[in-house]
Amino acid sequence: MPPSRDPFMAGLGQAVRIGTELLAALIVGGGLGWLADTYLFASGPWGVVAGLILGAIAGVLNAYRAAQRWTDGGSGAES
Amino acid sequence: MENPLHPFELHPIWHLSLFGLDISLNKAVIMMWVVIALAAGLLIMAASSRRFVPTKLQSLAEILVEFIRGIILDTIGKEGMRFFPFVATLFVFILFCNLLGLIPGSYTVTSQIVVTAAFALFVYTMSLVVGFLFHGVKFLGILIPPGTPAWLLPLMMPVELISQLARPLSLAVRLFANMTAGHTVLAVLFGMVLSLPLVIGWLPFAFSVAINGLEVIIAFIQAYIFTILTCVYLGDAINLHGHEAQAH
Repeated sequence: MPPSRDPFMAGLGQAVRIGTELLAALIVGGGLGWLADTYLFASGPWGVVAGLILGAIAGVLNAYRAAQRWTDGGSGAES
Repeated sequence: MENPLHPFELHPIWHLSLFGLDISLNKAVIMMWVVIALAAGLLIMAASSRRFVPTKLQSLAEILVEFIRGIILDTIGKEGMRFFPFVATLFVFILFCNLLGLIPGSYTVTSQIVVTAAFALFVYTMSLVVGFLFHGVKFLGILIPPGTPAWLLPLMMPVELISQLARPLSLAVRLFANMTAGHTVLAVLFGMVLSLPLVIGWLPFAFSVAINGLEVIIAFIQAYIFTILTCVYLGDAINLHGHEAQAH
């Protein structure tokens, strides 16, 4: 029995992932926006605003993709 | 009460410098050497007796090998077995760092973000290199999810770029934060035990014992997540938009 299919470990592993997945994308998005504001365009706060929005989208997308792996191989796989 | 973050501070034990580069020894460096020596020693000992009916140590090592093999086959597919030595080394090193850090008086190397960030950047850079080696310029197509309508591209490309760049960050922060948070909680609880009278002081002590048990589980889980995400990123680079891994 390969323990990677142990449902407890696998489930816990997946669950712990989601939180940081959301946060990291938000930080990267905001950071890129801030960089663009300060060093590239001097575009006021708008780079950070756009970056945070894009980061939030990316975070939700990441969390969604991570969650999608749960159903892969299970019975309720939807694509 | 003592500062609960005090255990994470590092002070040079032996000042050394190489061509002006500060390579002083501190607790974390020595702890890493201990981890490497212990992990390598145990595994070499386990592999030295290749019996048909395995010894206890040998069956532990066999479980470990089967475990990592299962992760790789599940997430990358057969193609990924050539990364087995790297992935196995990563898993064993992080697991031993996490577990040995729980011994009082030792040091948790993975509670330093320098260490976890170095691992995460290395893994991510490796996945990029592997992707470009396997697919050439077509690897940039990883920024375009399959089935995206053309009018959505200006939105999807930055979103995908951010979600790619978030990978090394989330990898590094997750391991570092879990280790630091767990040990801080333990330090706070122990501080309470020392500063409270015995009548109520047993309560945080009981909690600290329970949380120590939880920390052992977290040590396993975090090593497991780091490994499985390494495999997922490598798998994304190898099977570009493919689903070979699921076909397994």
